[in-house]
Amino acid sequence: MTTPDTAGTPPRNWVGRSRPAVEGAEIVTGELVYVTDRRVPGMLHAVVVRSTVPHAEIRRLDTSAATALPGVVAVLTAADVPVNALGPREVDGPVLCKTVVRQVGDAIALVAAEDAATAAAAAAMVTVDLEPLPVVDGPDAALDPASPQLHSVGNIAGRIAFASGDVEAALAGADLVLRRTVHTPAQEHLALETPGGMAIWADGKVTIWCGSQNPGLHQRKVARALDIETSAVRMIAGPVGGAFGARNDDPVPVHLAVLAHATGRPVHLHLTREEVMTAGTKRHPFTTSIDIGFDRSGQIVASQVIAVADTGPVITSGPNVLKTSAEMSTGPYRFPMASFSGTVVYSNNSNNGAFRGYGVPQVAFAVENALTEAAAELGIDPVEIRLRNVLRGGDPHSLYRHRTTDSLQVETTLRTAAAHPLWTDRQGWQAAGDGLWRRGTGLACAMKGVGMGSGTGDVARARLEIDATGAVTIWAGPNHTGQSIQTTYEQIAADALGLPIDAIEVRVGDTDFVPESGPTAASRSTYAGGGAVTRACAELRETCARLGLPLATDPAGTGEKLVELGSAAVEAEFFLPSTEDIGLIPADQLATYGPHRVYGACTQVVRVEVNIRTGELRVPDLLSVVDCGTAINPAATIGQAEGGALQGLGLAVMEEHRLVDGVPVTTNLENYLAPTIADAPHMQTVLISGHEDTGPYGAKGMSEVVVVPAPPALAAAVLDAVGVLPDRLPVTPERMLTWLEEQPCG
Amino acid sequence: MRVNGRPVPFDPRDPQLAATRLLDVLRDRLGLTGSKEGCGVGECGACAVLIDGRSACSCLVLTGQVAGNEITTVEGLADRGHGDLQAAFVRHHAVQCGYCIPGVLTSCAALLERNATPQRDDVTTALGGNLCRCTGYQRFTDAVCDVAAARRGAAPADDGDGDGDGPVGAVGSANSDGQRAGGS
Ligand code: FES
Ligand code: FES
Repeated sequence: MTTPDTAGTPPRNWVGRSRPAVEGAEIVTGELVYVTDRRVPGMLHAVVVRSTVPHAEIRRLDTSAATALPGVVAVLTAADVPVNALGPREVDGPVLCKTVVRQVGDAIALVAAEDAATAAAAAAMVTVDLEPLPVVDGPDAALDPASPQLHSVGNIAGRIAFASGDVEAALAGADLVLRRTVHTPAQEHLALETPGGMAIWADGKVTIWCGSQNPGLHQRKVARALDIETSAVRMIAGPVGGAFGARNDDPVPVHLAVLAHATGRPVHLHLTREEVMTAGTKRHPFTTSIDIGFDRSGQIVASQVIAVADTGPVITSGPNVLKTSAEMSTGPYRFPMASFSGTVVYSNNSNNGAFRGYGVPQVAFAVENALTEAAAELGIDPVEIRLRNVLRGGDPHSLYRHRTTDSLQVETTLRTAAAHPLWTDRQGWQAAGDGLWRRGTGLACAMKGVGMGSGTGDVARARLEIDATGAVTIWAGPNHTGQSIQTTYEQIAADALGLPIDAIEVRVGDTDFVPESGPTAASRSTYAGGGAVTRACAELRETCARLGLPLATDPAGTGEKLVELGSAAVEAEFFLPSTEDIGLIPADQLATYGPHRVYGACTQVVRVEVNIRTGELRVPDLLSVVDCGTAINPAATIGQAEGGALQGLGLAVMEEHRLVDGVPVTTNLENYLAPTIADAPHMQTVLISGHEDTGPYGAKGMSEVVVVPAPPALAAAVLDAVGVLPDRLPVTPERMLTWLEEQPCG
Repeated sequence: MRVNGRPVPFDPRDPQLAATRLLDVLRDRLGLTGSKEGCGVGECGACAVLIDGRSACSCLVLTGQVAGNEITTVEGLADRGHGDLQAAFVRHHAVQCGYCIPGVLTSCAALLERNATPQRDDVTTALGGNLCRCTGYQRFTDAVCDVAAARRGAAPADDGDGDGDGPVGAVGSANSDGQRAGGS
């Protein structure tokens, strides 16, 4: 997509230039009011009463003592919620549990009081009689017919399967067949601002300030629960301290709205870290098995991947995550035959939902580990075996055979990484290691789709208005959650309109003003949201050209005239383009598989030092080479790459949400470890220049794919250092020692 | 007790206030919501403030314990002479969601006040208790070293991480686009 141009293309002054975040000055002075910072006179303080057990029948719920406490304004239970549902299906779960609780932390009642201490005291006085039920503590239990069924549809939340041929027959002819199983844990999002905010009910309308990656979806959820029109719900979804997927499935906006509706007063709610670590969503834990065959030259003959995921008590993103796993189960590789079979189950474990990478890190760990092992078995260089199989732009996808975008540059990321000193100097670096600390270098690559996929009706919108002074305001989505998307949209708009960047202001995340644009997810904010902004700008330019108005040279005069004519506002849409050739996928099942046209890619190189006595790991260096098309704001893109790589590394070496019999164990930052500055490697990032024709100024999304290669690259580095290839994440010192005992190195 | 150079308009020894966390008094009583709560147990550093120039987690301090002390929050850093540090964080693209930043800046300010020539390892030690979930941390270190050098009147060297932000003010210039390798 290029900007239709009738009056000469404005010069590109801003796209491709690093520009500090527009809200940066307010952040560093502490002035930025995050949703949980908001306070108004007379506001109530709310607390959620939660289940303390993973599975139980609610026998009796007595709120009378809590209600009678002076200062308590409301104690709400399921009966007080007009429509007690978080979605249209039973499996979406209730707003408040009525007859049964299905996880520790399930919300049972909401308390609102004049001050926080009274709210907490009242919450402790709510009596909940819970009759324990047998606990479904994971996929094995879920699939056991003797286990309790957690929903009327049973314990299976979703299945997806596809085969492009007879994989077993193909594997019979391979020179090397690896049959391996890997385990990846539940990972905490750990957005630094815990969920919360404020809601106000006034004049038949509820306004909610609460983080959301999908304000339109939350608006609909609130409208359903309160049984009111969506137009009576205003979601203001920021500013917010991080998201990473956690704010797609969060019920807190609904809880806030229910409280404000019932009390008629402003209500403030801010979950504790312990609450969100207990009740909030995580990355889906997976068990992924791969059977993969190679010929002697290292070419992949066929692969079969079987994945089992645990989504916890309600469906949230489970089946959609699995859909992405299916698509990426063949990695960034081209080979003739593949199959995938995935199952996602319900359990009484913590709920799992969307998380940056969305099902890809889990299967990529299996695929990349297999490539690493095959290279070692066949005596082929780890880069060379990947290059021999690499998927090139325009190639058919290995599972679905649909056509991939021409802009895909996995190969360039691989070649660039392989030419980098971190890779070329790996032997010298290894030799310089001392005694107990063994050194190794590993590499892995990945690709991930941009947007929601073909056939899914993915659309982003932008509204633009010029005023009589020539100032332009743009209301666009998807919403900002920390990636400074407003800055990116401003850069796009300044160039598309040929106006000074200071004349442009971008607003996001307010459903009263921003047209429905879908989620901040699937690496689509820059690509799809930026596409809508580009189109809105093009429309304004066309209007000016038609009327003979000199927008770039006389914005004020032009604005004045447009306001006078009633033509000062435009709205535009960007539809995610479907793949040009859907390959083997039946046309009527396109949305079921949602194959992408556009993909971003990333290769990472990781250096590791392993202490063979203690099992400790150190990661001094990490290189990311990223294929993101045009980087509209390169420093911001590199910032995303650095943060994403560190989240991937956290998953690789330390992060694991653990439960015992459905009871979460890692419920605070003392026992859930996440990377601090001391754990962060020196990171280098190289952005490959490229151009995605369907993206704004050639851009495509990248902030998820950068999470993916780090775990398998780390595993490959461990193999290089001590001769064992980790098959379970995270690689903790205890696990490392066990592996070293099983396979002592020299 | 003084906060950001001004005496507080209440008695911090009042029994109820004295037993309240400093973080809550700052946020709810004084309206200084720059200091954030990320964990409430001293593990994330989002609530860090300066107490007599030393960085401390305000979620672990009771107001009565600091009734006679000088508190500086992120809102008071510029008046304390750290406006250059704040500007460097913006210039170095060290800010993403920003929720950790008040605590991070406070810890960095404490470091610079006791050490005018911090090395990268010193920044790592100073920020050991500040969790950031968005960034890779190294821009924090870049910004601090840059500011320390500028305060001494020296220009820092490029840190080689690909973002071209080594030399002061380089970010935003045409050669800082990070795009190095040829593709397509
Ligand atoms: S809120 Fe004080 S350390 Fe986390
Ligand atoms: S910038 Fe988001 S937590 Fe640090």
